[in-house]
Amino acid sequence: MKRLYYSLFLIITGFSFFSCNDQCTETRYVRQTRPVTLSLTGIRQAGIVTEAARTMERPGKLYVKENYLFINELKKGIHIIDNSNPSNPTAIAFVNIPGNGDMAVRGNILYVDSYTDIVALDISNPKQVTEVSRVQDLFNNGLFDGGYWAVNMNTGAIQDQEVSYVTEKIKTNCEDNITPIGWGWGWFSMDALFASSSSLSSGGKSSSSSDGVGGSMARFALHSQFLYTVDQSNLNLLDISDPGHPDFYKTIPVGWNIETIFPYGNNLFIGSGRGMYIFDNSNPSDPQQLSVYQHNVACDPVVVHENLAYVTLRSGTTCNLAQNQLDVIDIADLSNPKLLKSYPMKHPHGLSIDNPRLYLCEGEYGLKVFDVSNPMEIDQHQISHIADINAFDVITIGSNLLLIGKDGFYQYNAADPKRLKLLSKIPVSSPF
Amino acid sequence: MKNWIVGVGLMILTLPAVAQKSEAFKRHYVNHTEFGTLLGRVTAGEGNSEITESKTSITAQTYNGIQLNPDLSVGLIAGMDWYKSNLVTPLAAGLRYQLGRKGNGRFFTMLDTGYGFTWFHKDNEGFDSKGGWMINPGIGMGLGKQKGLTFTLSWKRQHVFVEKPILWNQLDRYENRNYQRLVLRIGMSF
Repeated sequence: MKRLYYSLFLIITGFSFFSCNDQCTETRYVRQTRPVTLSLTGIRQAGIVTEAARTMERPGKLYVKENYLFINELKKGIHIIDNSNPSNPTAIAFVNIPGNGDMAVRGNILYVDSYTDIVALDISNPKQVTEVSRVQDLFNNGLFDGGYWAVNMNTGAIQDQEVSYVTEKIKTNCEDNITPIGWGWGWFSMDALFASSSSLSSGGKSSSSSDGVGGSMARFALHSQFLYTVDQSNLNLLDISDPGHPDFYKTIPVGWNIETIFPYGNNLFIGSGRGMYIFDNSNPSDPQQLSVYQHNVACDPVVVHENLAYVTLRSGTTCNLAQNQLDVIDIADLSNPKLLKSYPMKHPHGLSIDNPRLYLCEGEYGLKVFDVSNPMEIDQHQISHIADINAFDVITIGSNLLLIGKDGFYQYNAADPKRLKLLSKIPVSSPF
Repeated sequence: MKNWIVGVGLMILTLPAVAQKSEAFKRHYVNHTEFGTLLGRVTAGEGNSEITESKTSITAQTYNGIQLNPDLSVGLIAGMDWYKSNLVTPLAAGLRYQLGRKGNGRFFTMLDTGYGFTWFHKDNEGFDSKGGWMINPGIGMGLGKQKGLTFTLSWKRQHVFVEKPILWNQLDRYENRNYQRLVLRIGMSF
């Protein structure tokens, strides 16, 4: 028995080395802002400068024009990439544009935002981009990556916020699984990477063959002789009859928290925090609101194919409390859009339709491909899922899939949607 | 981590010292089903806002295995741990080793290790729980030769990873939960 007692003694002594304290640590990646003041006059005088290609750090929106890719570096400018060979995209230049978030291309003219202005750039020689003209004072304020800026027109000073990131580690009680009230009021969350209220880019396929293609997160659209831009509450029209010299045409009030614009046929579909606005754009100089499809407060990129609109709603964004879901909306009657069905998603962002395939970015949960032949059974027809990437917005061009996320820019061959083949990846030097 | 490695090492070192010779023995199925409580404490917060509180959760598990010799059995464990914010389903491999007996009682040691899944846990909106590794060494006392009532005292470590909804100005938020509990169980073996 002595052996038994000896063993028990040793085991119990061993137990005393163990801790019976739960150890739970919450890690937070937090954005911090620092106020800075800039001179609007100084920015304009410095002009737009083309520099040598550089690595991506905080990529924003994506735009495609023929063999060239334009990837926004948030508030810094645009990477121009030669994509003649999608398996080996080559960065050829970086255009330094202070306060830039969006872009659109018609012919050889690249339209970009630069804080308050819209600038027309000649990209005939992508290695030496030159400024052609500028529409001044179109915007008064905006958001970039969670940093808010506003201009004082009297003094010409831009009050901006410089954004940085820190990692915090907090000891928790292991039990905080309750969603705090208003947690979705993370105005400046991941989505803000792509949200700049004074920005532009061309959403969807526009009317002219000389136009480029933007993603579903775009805030600009090209149609006829107009460039349409949405800011937080308005739809702005710029006349680009002379592409190199855009003229402000007019502003149409829409609503609050406007986020995206998607042109389709003779209509404009505008995504906002409260719903999707449908405009009749038969007369491109005078878009008329036909209807609004309202939903819970959420962010909602939109894509359209024939009589169906696909809208993603997500939480934790520039909007507030919301579900994470894909809504399919019947727009056969544009004056009376009807919800056909909602599908729960994890954290949906941008999307692209290449009927019958729907490509849907799930943020940190990757990219999903669905067959949408039957809009009532989309969830039963998920073709594939790439989970190990971070996907915010996607563009399909032919069998090629272009995808941007916080960890890099990806290109896939989607000829076989069950097995997307990675063609190339341009990594981000410092993700987030 | 270091603490439980030392503990397991101590147990392994003591096993030969108390091993008993097997007599005419035939391998057979064994079952050891238990339920009990997971006791622990947790300290949260920083500085003046630091708070320590006690934690109690319920646990249940069943061990199904083979008695390899009169002292040693090996088996597989399926269980359920009701932590306040996570329902964990551990699937593990385990062993039971008899240390000795006195009268109608017998003393044994146990070691279970495996993975705790969150299959049956329903996350709140915005949360995404994923399971993690589990280890559970301990000692026990049984009444009867092989069949009968058992009481065990053990230590359990269970890891759970939780992706959380982001708050104001956050881009990512997640939590690593390491539940480290003293476990008291009562059960039956046959």
